[in-house]
Parts: sequence; structure tokens; C-alpha cells
Amino acid sequence: MTSIIQITLKGIFRDRVFQGIMALAVLFLFIPSAASLSMRQVVETSITLSLSLISFILLLLSVFLGATSLWKDMERRYTFSVISLPVSRSSYLLGRFFGLALFLVITAAVLAVAALLAIKFAVLMYPPDRPVLWGALVLALLFATLKYILLVGVALLLSTVSTSFFLPIFGTICAFLASGITQQVYEYVHMPASANAVSPFLKSAATVLYYLLPNLAGFDLNVNAIYGIQPNPNGLMITLGYFLAYTSILLGAAALLFDRREMQ
Amino acid sequence: MTKRAPLALLMVGLVSYSLLISPFASYMRNKPIAEKLGYVPSIKVLKPLSADHKEFVGASLVLKVTMYFGGLIGKMQNGRLSEPADLQGMSRLLHQAVRLDPYNMDCYYFAQSFLTWDAGQIEVANEMLKYGMQYRSWDWYLPFFAGFNHAFFLKDYPKAAEYYRKAGDLSGMDLHIKLAGRYLQESGQTELAIGYLKGMVRTANNPAIRKSYQIRLQAFQEARRIEVARDLFAAQHGAPPATVEQLVHAGLLDPKPSDPYGGAFYLEATGKVSTTSKFAFATGKK
Repeated sequence: MTSIIQITLKGIFRDRVFQGIMALAVLFLFIPSAASLSMRQVVETSITLSLSLISFILLLLSVFLGATSLWKDMERRYTFSVISLPVSRSSYLLGRFFGLALFLVITAAVLAVAALLAIKFAVLMYPPDRPVLWGALVLALLFATLKYILLVGVALLLSTVSTSFFLPIFGTICAFLASGITQQVYEYVHMPASANAVSPFLKSAATVLYYLLPNLAGFDLNVNAIYGIQPNPNGLMITLGYFLAYTSILLGAAALLFDRREMQ
Repeated sequence: MTKRAPLALLMVGLVSYSLLISPFASYMRNKPIAEKLGYVPSIKVLKPLSADHKEFVGASLVLKVTMYFGGLIGKMQNGRLSEPADLQGMSRLLHQAVRLDPYNMDCYYFAQSFLTWDAGQIEVANEMLKYGMQYRSWDWYLPFFAGFNHAFFLKDYPKAAEYYRKAGDLSGMDLHIKLAGRYLQESGQTELAIGYLKGMVRTANNPAIRKSYQIRLQAFQEARRIEVARDLFAAQHGAPPATVEQLVHAGLLDPKPSDPYGGAFYLEATGKVSTTSKFAFATGKK
């Protein structure tokens, strides 16, 4: 599996994806000056812009790399040569996943350094009323990375059942958007006040979707990082456990489906 | 397609672009300010679409409003705005912004600056501040603003004292504690406004906002000058003056007071100093 991880990483670097990200990272240089447009919270706005930029880059990477990785291999018939080697399909799939996850971690780490420098500069230029919680900032970046690794799992799962890249790409984007609001929808349909407004069928459907779709809202620690609010350690541990459990389910299901997939 | 066709297409594109870019930029620059504020979808749509960029979208909405307001202030001449400000639109956008990011201080700060004096929506401003206090529980500015609104606009002194006490507890600053005590009784309305506005001018880093506070401060300083002259007149003549002109003729007001909002100062029957501008911007359109 290690060789598949290496091949995956090499392939991404060969496609000059990292250079593209570095070109986007130039935007970090402009963050302190863009944030100075804020009236009362320049540092907070710097953190907001930095986290949003990193999150956006990671989203693009997870959707496009995750959704096209398997599809591209099958389209170019690379998978045939790989599965003729003494490597199981599951190992191949997991190798691809861990390769992509490792690339996300490397990218997030490099972007995090750029973001921390931009924020530090903003802190020196515009001392904030409340001190920046650097630990919360690093945690927010870490959990954002985990979130997008989970999304890569969703993209790979959809890739195993799809013959084109449309379903993985659009399915992953839809899952990402839905995953941010499932919690709100679930809480709304279970409120006593909405008992008359929501039909029992809709309530059941919302409940099923709540448990079925990933709940990525828990990984969002932006408010904690931006406004210096200490995150709940127990909540973080539970979220970490959720990440491991949900990713295992995604990878297990993807491996099972990929094992049974007919390749022509 | 011939080999020269792509080159020809590129050249046509470049020539067209260079011809069009100048009028296009001018059209965009001169777009009506109201159009610049534009349409923003309902919060019910915006929130799910913002995904994990809610804070970013919230900050963008605030920036949109401040840019719009800055444009209005920039075009202001002699205390008159070139067109009426879309206060309702500004309020709507700021309310959406706090729903996306209830911690965003820029929202509360800016809402406090225009919802009170310009829009006269004191209750709306206070509701927004109360909402913010649930989240920004460490921030003394929000109760400080609420205390000022209750004292100055609503004349609800016990409530003002309560908010100033809260601001004092959070900031540990003597000023707020003193204000809390002071607002248990009515006194020094103009002085309070001057003190408040001086603080706001000092801490404002947005040029448009600072300018708007400076103009208001100037107006209240002029009102305070008239109050001092009025009291002096009453002490000298044994009766209060009926008009501001009386004070000017008596040599107690030199130079003649001028309202930076373009209004005219007058004395109410109770002796209170007022202005026809109501300390707010007038618009150029009739």
C-alpha cells in the first residue's frame, strides 16, 4: 500500500497541483491589508480570511482530486495494470485514499504556516482587544483538514459506483453543502414548536438523512479561532472519534464496492 | 478554420477589450449607490450556501454596507447627501450578517452608528445589541452602546444605569461606573453625547465612520456652546433667552453657531437647544 501512497503523491506533484496552490497562497500576502478595512476587528478579520482561504483550497482539492483520482485511473486503464500486480483492490483504494489524505495534510501545513505569518503580522500592526488563541487556531486548521479528508472518503465512495466523474464531483459538493445544515434541520424537525408544521414522514426522512450524511458542522472551529473562545475538549475528542468511525465506514463500503466492481 | 483565424480572433478580442474597458469602468464607477448595495438572498438561503464560510460571508456583507455608506459620505456636500441613504437596506444586510456571524463586532458598531441617529431605529439598534451581548459576553462596548441609547434617546435612566454598570463590570473602567451612577438621575445630555462621540472618534479607524462621528461631535459641541451662552444670558438678565439670535446679539455667542448638517439651531419653549437638521444628514433630493 505504501507504494500506492507514494505513486499517488508523485502523481499529484507531477500534475503541478502543488504549484497551483502556492500561486493561490500569494493571496495570504494581501490578507492584512484587506483586513484593515474592518472597523473594529482587524485581527479577527485576518483570521476569518485566512481560514476561509485555506478551507476553500482544501475543498477544491478534496472534491477534484478525490472525485477524479479513481475515475482517471480507470479511464486511462491504469487500474488494469495495477490489479494484475499482487496488490488487492482494497489496498489500491486505501493507498489512493491515504495518498490524497497525506497531500491534504502537507498542503494544510504549508498554508497554515503562511496563514499564521499573515495573522502575526496583523497582530503586530493592529493589536487586538482580546489575545489570539494560537492553539485554537491550530486546532481549527487541524479539524478543517480532517473534514476535507473525510470528504475525500465520500468522493472515493461515489467514484467506486460511478462510470463518469459527474456523480463523484457533484455528489461530493452536494454532500458537503448538506453536511453543514443537517444538524439545524434535525433540530428544527424535532422542536416541539414544529410538531404541527412538519409531517411524520418528513421528520423520519430528516432523521434518516441526519444519521446517514456526514455531519461536518462539528469540525467547524472557526468561531473559536477567530474570537478566541476556548473549544470544548470533550467535544473535540468526540468529533475526532466521529471522524475515525465515519471515515472507516466510507472506506469499508468503498473497498467492498470496488472489490465487486466489474472492469471492462 | 485557417491557421490565422485564432490570431485574428485574439486581435479582435484585444482591440474590442481596449475600446470597451474605459466606458465599462466608468459605467461601473458611476452606478447609482443604491444599486451598489444590491440584492442579497434571504438568510435562509445564504446560511446553508455559506457552509463553513459564514464568518467570511458575514464580514463581506458588513464591508458592502460600509463601502456603500463611505460612498455616500464621500459624495456629501455642505452636510447634504447626494441621494437618500437606503437605511432599511443597510439594516437588513447587517441583520443578515449577525445571523451568519453573531460575534462580528463591526456589525454592532456600524449598526449603532447609523440605526440610532440617522434611522431613528433605537429599539432595533438595542435589540441588535442585546442579541450581540449573548455572544460577545466579554465585550463592554455593547452594554456601553445600549446604556447610551437608553439614556440619550429613550430617557430610560434606570435601564441606562443597568447597562453602564454592566459595561463597568466588564471593562473595570471608572468612567462607566460613574456614568451608571449619573444616569440614575437626568443631567448633562449634551455633555454625555460629546463624551460618547469623542470616544467614538478616537477609536474609529474607518475614515467614513470617523468623519460621520466628527461631524456629529462638531454639531453637539456647537449645541453645548449655545447651552453655556443660554445659561449665562439667564444669569445676567434674570430670564432665559427666546432665540439663539438674542444670544448672538448679546455678544455671548461669537462666532455664530453653525450646524455642520446644514440645519439652523433654535431654542425650544423649554429652553432646550435643538436644530432643524435633527443632528442627521439631509438629502439633496426634495
